[in-house]
Amino acid sequence: MPSFCDFSVARGRLAAVITLSGIRTSMNPVLETIDLRMVYHVGKVEVPALRGATVRVEAGEYVAIIGPSGCGKSTFLHIVGGMLQPTSGQVMIEGEDLTKMTDAQRTDLRRRKIGFVFQRFNLFPTLTAEGNLKLAERIYSGKNNQDSARRHGVLRLLGLEDKTHHKPLELSGGEQQRVAIARAVINKPAILLADEPTGNLDTENSDIVLNMMGQLNKELGQTIIMITHNAEAAARADRVIEMRDGHVVRSSSPVAAAQVRQ
Amino acid sequence: MDSLIAANISQRPLRTAISIVGVALGVVLVSLFVGLAHGMMHDAAGRQSNVDAEVRVFPGGNISLAGNPLMLPEGYADAILHGVQPTAEDPDLKPIPPISGVASTSAVGEYVQGSVAGIGFEMVDGLAYSSFTKTTHLAISSGRELGDGLSPESAQEAIVDHYYAESGKDLEGKPIGVGSKISVLGHEFKIVGIYRPSVLARVKIPLATMQHLLGGAKNCTFVMVKCERPELADQVVAQIKQYYPGLRVIQTNEIPALYSQGLAPVEVFLKVVIGLGVIISVLVILLAMYTTIIERTREIGILKSLGASKRFIVMTIEKEAAMISVMGVVLGYGAAVIGKFVLEANTRLMIDLELKWFVIAALIGVFGGIIGAIYPAMRAANLDPVEAISYD
Repeated sequence: MPSFCDFSVARGRLAAVITLSGIRTSMNPVLETIDLRMVYHVGKVEVPALRGATVRVEAGEYVAIIGPSGCGKSTFLHIVGGMLQPTSGQVMIEGEDLTKMTDAQRTDLRRRKIGFVFQRFNLFPTLTAEGNLKLAERIYSGKNNQDSARRHGVLRLLGLEDKTHHKPLELSGGEQQRVAIARAVINKPAILLADEPTGNLDTENSDIVLNMMGQLNKELGQTIIMITHNAEAAARADRVIEMRDGHVVRSSSPVAAAQVRQ
Repeated sequence: MDSLIAANISQRPLRTAISIVGVALGVVLVSLFVGLAHGMMHDAAGRQSNVDAEVRVFPGGNISLAGNPLMLPEGYADAILHGVQPTAEDPDLKPIPPISGVASTSAVGEYVQGSVAGIGFEMVDGLAYSSFTKTTHLAISSGRELGDGLSPESAQEAIVDHYYAESGKDLEGKPIGVGSKISVLGHEFKIVGIYRPSVLARVKIPLATMQHLLGGAKNCTFVMVKCERPELADQVVAQIKQYYPGLRVIQTNEIPALYSQGLAPVEVFLKVVIGLGVIISVLVILLAMYTTIIERTREIGILKSLGASKRFIVMTIEKEAAMISVMGVVLGYGAAVIGKFVLEANTRLMIDLELKWFVIAALIGVFGGIIGAIYPAMRAANLDPVEAISYD
């Protein structure tokens, strides 16, 4: 099991990133979706959620996806996370095509390469903060192959070293979300997918959580894709992808995105 | 708490307790019923094997616990010992010689009555004390010998073995001793003696009284035959079969095996009990785990978002079910042991809690639980991750 310091490997991915016209690209994107389409069937009615979304995210990027409710952001995130199979199109995660995988293979890829953070934290209420991390480790690597030093390192990085034995209900919302982030990154995922991570938090805790995510991205090179309605949260990202009606309508720097929105 | 399984079990204590009790019920059912059947059988067979008389003579046909128990003329006891000679009343009677090698015989009546304690049944012997003690060793440890039942004074008296005296209560609810009154065949009997060792039925009354009460005049259930030497038993059996071909003749050492054969219907009943034990364990765990899966739908969604495979989810639920089942088995063992002592202290039932059946009961409890959890586990594993994680 690599140590906590092996985050430097992830950081190394940054070296391969080339900045071009404000948008970073590389030969090996960590995520690439090509003409991604998703149609839900509600009875006999077809409801298109994605209508050909093409997105490319480089290793080490911090990307915010914004857009109005129902524009397909969550569907996009669930597909990229291997929790949904798209109707058509391609999803490449570090060169592996999700759309050609079986359900079991997608689960395996999710285990190896994806970390999820949800709006509702989604911690196991019966487990302590450390227990939640241990569970993620166990799912990732098996029971007898856990790295206590790394686990405590992640908890320390997220300011949770004195909360390791607290259960979720004994933690504030911000602390719960930080535990959720710690759980998401404990196995060094290629991509951290965050679905409205500050949606249930007050301004102060939102700020703390966003700072932590920024720290993970800047210091450890963690690739982050974050869905948000919060303009301030989007402003923390390197790049903002705007979606509307199932399409990607814009991909720009946060400043440019803010100017367009104004 | 860092273990998801342990946390889930402790988080819902009532559900866990009900599940454990359900599994324990199956274990108790199997352990106690099997223990009871085998205990009673072993006890009865053991008391049969304490009989010194090597040969037993029954009426023709199968041994049955049902019907009139006094079907064999008691005159066979005398005929086997002394032979048959024409008499003035029956001058055409074909003479039969005494069976050689026979030392003594005794006619015994045997009746099954409902237990005075209200649970189970107990046997009562009717015997002629003087001839009975010539065929098997019996010592009065307290009180006196049993009368012949021919006089009004001796007709309503009984002797009981030491176990009966130590474990039972008389009609007034007092400990049994010499002079106590007990109910036999619906009548009040006075205990005049306590004997050792336990031989045949624990309660013995005069054969004449039993004949009178059951309307089987001069009949008995079987005749005990004591040989001059144990090695003569085969020869005695052969002779009795030769001269009295209508009778069923067996050696005493065959009795325990015959008990086992006679208890074949009980074995069928035990299989039904075992089946019920399995069904209870399966249903209890199935319902408990199914309910818990619905309650934990979102948690299963979280597991899926973390990349937990179907196998991981199935194994998590199965381990939880197995853990609950093991606790149920342990509780079931405890309850069975307590039940044995309570029953044996308050009734004359004998319960053998055999290791083999403890193991079988444990397997039934644990595997029943595991089987019961399969459907809920599979259902959980096949939940749609997006729907599961959005579940409220």
